[in-house]
Amino acid sequence: MPVHHVMGNEGNYPYLLALWLLPLAGAIVNWAFGPQLKSAAGALGSAAIGVAFVATVLMWGAATQSVPSTGGVNLVGAHQTLFSWLPGFDFGLLMDPLSLLWALIITGVGFLIHVYSIGYMDGDNAFARFFAYMNFFVFAMLTLVLSDNFVGLLIGWGLVGLASYFLIGFWFFKPSAVAAARKAFVLNVVGDVGIMFAIFMIFASVHSTGFGDAFAFAGSYNTGWLFAICLTLFIGAAAKSAQIPLQTWLPDAMEGPTPVSALIHAATMVTAGVYLIARCAPLWSQNQDAQMLVGVIGALTALLGAILGCAQWDIKRILAYSTMSQIGYMIMGVGVGAYEGGVAHFFTHAFFKAQLFLGSGIIIHALNNEQDVRRMGGLIKTMPFAFVAMLTGVIAISGIPYLGSGFFSKDLVIQGALQHGHPWLYAIALITAGITAYYMCRMLFVTFLGQYRGNVDPSDLGIRHPELAGTSAHAAEHDEVHAHAPAWLMNVPVGILIVPTVLIGWLMFGGENSPWAHFFAQQFPHPALPAAPISETLTAVIAFALVIVGIAIAWARYGVAPAQQNAVERLRQESVRMPAVLTNAFYFDYAIDWLFVRTSQLLGTLFGRFLDPQVIDGAVRETAFSAQWLGTLVRSFQTGLLRTYAFLLVIGATCFMVYYAVAMGAAK
Amino acid sequence: MSPMAVPIADYVGLSAVIFFIGVAGVIVRRNPLIMLMSIELMFNAANLLFIAFSRAWLHNAGHIFAFLVITVAAAEAAIGLAIVVTVFRTSRHVDVDDIALMKG
Amino acid sequence: MIVLALVLLPILAGIIMLLIPAREENPVLAKGAGTVIALIEFALALGARDSEFSLRPWLSRPFESSFHFGATGISFWIVLLLAVVTFSAILAMSVPRQRQFVAQMLLLEGTMMGVFLAKDLLLFALFWDLMLLPVFFGLLGWGEHPATAWRYFIYNFAGGLALLLATATFGVLFGSTDVIGRTDVHVVGSWVPWIFIGFAFAFLVKTPVWPLHTWMPPTYSNTPPPMVAVVSAVQSKAGLYGLIVICMAFMPDYLKAYAGVLIVLGVISLLYGAVVSLVQNDTKRIVAYSSLSHLGLIVVAICSFNAIALQGALIYIIAHGLFSAGMFLTLGYVEAREDTRSLVRLGGLGAVNPKLAGALCITSLAALGLPGLAGFVGEIVILTGVFQAGFIWVTILALIPIVIAAAYMLRLFQGVMNGPEVEDLPVRRDLTWLEGIALAPIVLALVVLGVNPHALTTFDPAQYNATQTQVAQGVAR
Repeated sequence: MPVHHVMGNEGNYPYLLALWLLPLAGAIVNWAFGPQLKSAAGALGSAAIGVAFVATVLMWGAATQSVPSTGGVNLVGAHQTLFSWLPGFDFGLLMDPLSLLWALIITGVGFLIHVYSIGYMDGDNAFARFFAYMNFFVFAMLTLVLSDNFVGLLIGWGLVGLASYFLIGFWFFKPSAVAAARKAFVLNVVGDVGIMFAIFMIFASVHSTGFGDAFAFAGSYNTGWLFAICLTLFIGAAAKSAQIPLQTWLPDAMEGPTPVSALIHAATMVTAGVYLIARCAPLWSQNQDAQMLVGVIGALTALLGAILGCAQWDIKRILAYSTMSQIGYMIMGVGVGAYEGGVAHFFTHAFFKAQLFLGSGIIIHALNNEQDVRRMGGLIKTMPFAFVAMLTGVIAISGIPYLGSGFFSKDLVIQGALQHGHPWLYAIALITAGITAYYMCRMLFVTFLGQYRGNVDPSDLGIRHPELAGTSAHAAEHDEVHAHAPAWLMNVPVGILIVPTVLIGWLMFGGENSPWAHFFAQQFPHPALPAAPISETLTAVIAFALVIVGIAIAWARYGVAPAQQNAVERLRQESVRMPAVLTNAFYFDYAIDWLFVRTSQLLGTLFGRFLDPQVIDGAVRETAFSAQWLGTLVRSFQTGLLRTYAFLLVIGATCFMVYYAVAMGAAK
Repeated sequence: MSPMAVPIADYVGLSAVIFFIGVAGVIVRRNPLIMLMSIELMFNAANLLFIAFSRAWLHNAGHIFAFLVITVAAAEAAIGLAIVVTVFRTSRHVDVDDIALMKG
Repeated sequence: MIVLALVLLPILAGIIMLLIPAREENPVLAKGAGTVIALIEFALALGARDSEFSLRPWLSRPFESSFHFGATGISFWIVLLLAVVTFSAILAMSVPRQRQFVAQMLLLEGTMMGVFLAKDLLLFALFWDLMLLPVFFGLLGWGEHPATAWRYFIYNFAGGLALLLATATFGVLFGSTDVIGRTDVHVVGSWVPWIFIGFAFAFLVKTPVWPLHTWMPPTYSNTPPPMVAVVSAVQSKAGLYGLIVICMAFMPDYLKAYAGVLIVLGVISLLYGAVVSLVQNDTKRIVAYSSLSHLGLIVVAICSFNAIALQGALIYIIAHGLFSAGMFLTLGYVEAREDTRSLVRLGGLGAVNPKLAGALCITSLAALGLPGLAGFVGEIVILTGVFQAGFIWVTILALIPIVIAAAYMLRLFQGVMNGPEVEDLPVRRDLTWLEGIALAPIVLALVVLGVNPHALTTFDPAQYNATQTQVAQGVAR
């Protein structure tokens, strides 16, 4: 057995165990005693995550301590060995700056979203069940980011998929939610299987699944093998992070309650792919082809998501496509080797996207589960707080210089692509930035400006299937008036999120001397790079110009006074004229459906209805029939007549005699 | 020097003739009594051979076998007649072609 | 002595129960007695580790044979699984003519104990045929179509015949059949390929492997749920067990020679079972075809001749036993409530039966290989080994059914539990206490083995370099 390479300082870290297991405890208590807890379930679930957040903060020092070098692998952080799962499959917890960052977001933003959910989910029949699932998700996600080996990561990977499945299908009496949940789960299993295959390759190489062992030998894999490892890991990342061609589940996942979309399908789970690639930076850095592949897929997803974002009417689907697009940026960043950039965009995105979702949740909640922006409008007057929340989010995501956090991180990604020698990806990323500004402002203007259109007949707005548009799932429950939880439970978390949304990007300001670069100094490989042909400042200017163009187009189409006055007619026109290729999301769903789903169903039907009963059983039946036929044949000799038997006997005896006579004659 | 005046081949020939007369009787006739008698003929053809060869080779085994065959033939005739009588009692006539209980 | 009691107690109890003159039926008493016996069996099984019983010679000509039982290695774990599953199955069942059914269940348990505890090939073959009878009578007496019973019996008895012939030939060649678990057994001669084929045929029919599987879906869907839980959980493992402790341990060269064919059949079973499961509407048939798929993976693992894969196979044998028993029991509870197994009819039960939904959810999640539950451990360890053995394409093909499994298991679960409530279903009540207690050990074992499968492993890292045959011999020792 090879010597194990452990990453980080080995030791006992009670806070680490606490922050990992507290959410699990919360989940179990909420699940087991939900009916008894009643409304206390929300407080309990939130408290578990809140305490976990405190424990995470207390781990800061240990997670950022550097380790006396023992050769090769990254050497920072805290490590605690837990137990041996199987020989070669040891399990332990590792907290270095990368996992610390994720853990902070998972517990921190997670805590705010939990508190928000107390208000949002108030009155739901399965209030405690919701918090059990949410706590379980946090536990699973922490398992994913704290594991020190690939199998532990895969376990977390699968469990977050399960939590996501439960929460998408939370309102399981809705067929659409059930289908969306299944789709999300199955597509994510495709990703799990990819990671499994990578684990096989790693295990076959180093007889271990630990990160330390896998990375210590990163230089010794042959190129094709390493590319295969990266490729299969990326299948996992693509499925979880909704990258082409496995992205189709994410928009459907918006069937879940809005806090779920904020926590799982925006801030944390869908960024697991970014985490995986950043975690495996030592592998990716060794393989140019893998970097190229991931960079291209990331950029294409960013562009595609942005284009599709322009064609959506459901506020949550707009945000879903924007999430897909922004994760494309992150994946592109970590793919090309700009790890700090990709991770930075995850960090800022977690705040502003959570805020956008929670803001939209306030609107949806207030409008009794209306999600179609065409039926909103003019909300700036009735919901000024929601407007502020959405506005700061839009500023951040659009990347308006210095005003929002998104600018800084997106700039790191875009400039990183150029620096690492990918001018085409750079160009795509810039164009996508412009489109992003357009569709986000479109959403903002249509929602908040003009007149309220909720009382307009849906068909006048071009809504063809009002019952399908928007999630009016438990609208029935909300029709009956019941006391809502205090609004501050929803507003305060959003208010708190505004602060980092606006300010946190400044951490990344200042290039190599920024606190951000310092934080990750020991985490990622830093190869010497040639100076980029376009300076950072110039990139920022180009990006800003494109953003301004995007905002201007959005303003011209939805913001100017005539557009506001004729909003109903204009929206109807746009809905009717929307190209089919956009409303069908470039036909990815159809392609997957026809290529895989229907093919396997057809094969299954063929095998189950034809091959099994006709061919295989047919062969068995034929054997039985031929025995029967033989019996019938022999039966005809059994006449029952004594004389026939005697006659046959004589013939038989004669045959024998003739045979022996001939044989004897031949012998002589 | 053979102790026999008549050559052995004549015995074999006579035995074969008697045997095939018996065979023909069993196949052709439908009366069970005649069939039993034909079977006796076949037995006796075999007995004739036993005795002839016993004499030719001066070996007593043939005599012993001939006695054995006579004994078995007596037993067989007894059982055969018993069956014939039983059948006659149930069906009132004795044509073997009417008895096809073993038809498959 | 414990092992002898394990085998004889349920058989005797079953026979006595059958013989009681039935003037007044008391189903509760019958079930209670069955439960108590199953519980005693479980206690005995817990204490049976490494205990042996031998009466020799049992037969001395034409070859030596002993009345030899032993709970060593994997036998112990399978016997424990059998005890747990039988207990769970009897505890919460409800069938007509309960006394006779409980008797059949006990006979089934006893004869299968005999199969897995036998250390003598002749004894193994004897119990192999005996364990078919309770299922046969179960199908005749409680199944929907008697033809299924005959199909089950003829297929498996043909396998049993091959097994008996192979055993006899083995005994004549080697001089003794008291060999299971011994490491010094090496048979040579021109007859050995035939012995191997005889054993392999019996084991492949029993497992089953494509294309010998067509007896299984009707058997599984027609057998009453408590019995099919035991059959799919444990009886289907008899073939795999035999493949490991007999074919691999005594005739590794021949197994290796035929490994290519067996791996191809295993992969076909894997894919075939998965896609057919995808379109079935009968809930029990879905699980039946999924078993074909899952057990194909174990055949692949065994034939890959890799120590890690074999280790995974042992874990997966236990894991599959647990989750398939759990699924059949839960689906049985659903069927008992709604009088239907059709996914077309069922739907929306989760809203009124949350506990039932939870039970079906966790068992189907284990079946689809959710990380953290026992099924996943088996899958990943097996495939790690198969990949290490160099079967890269086999590994890739074996990963496809994992995705399909997610699709059909969720289709099954959601089809029964989710969606809008179906109006005309006779919704009765949620999981009763008794049913909950019956499922609890299964669910608990799935979680414990998923988190810490170490308990099941019998080898240490030093054995990474051991040949698979050595591991296989170690498995039975």
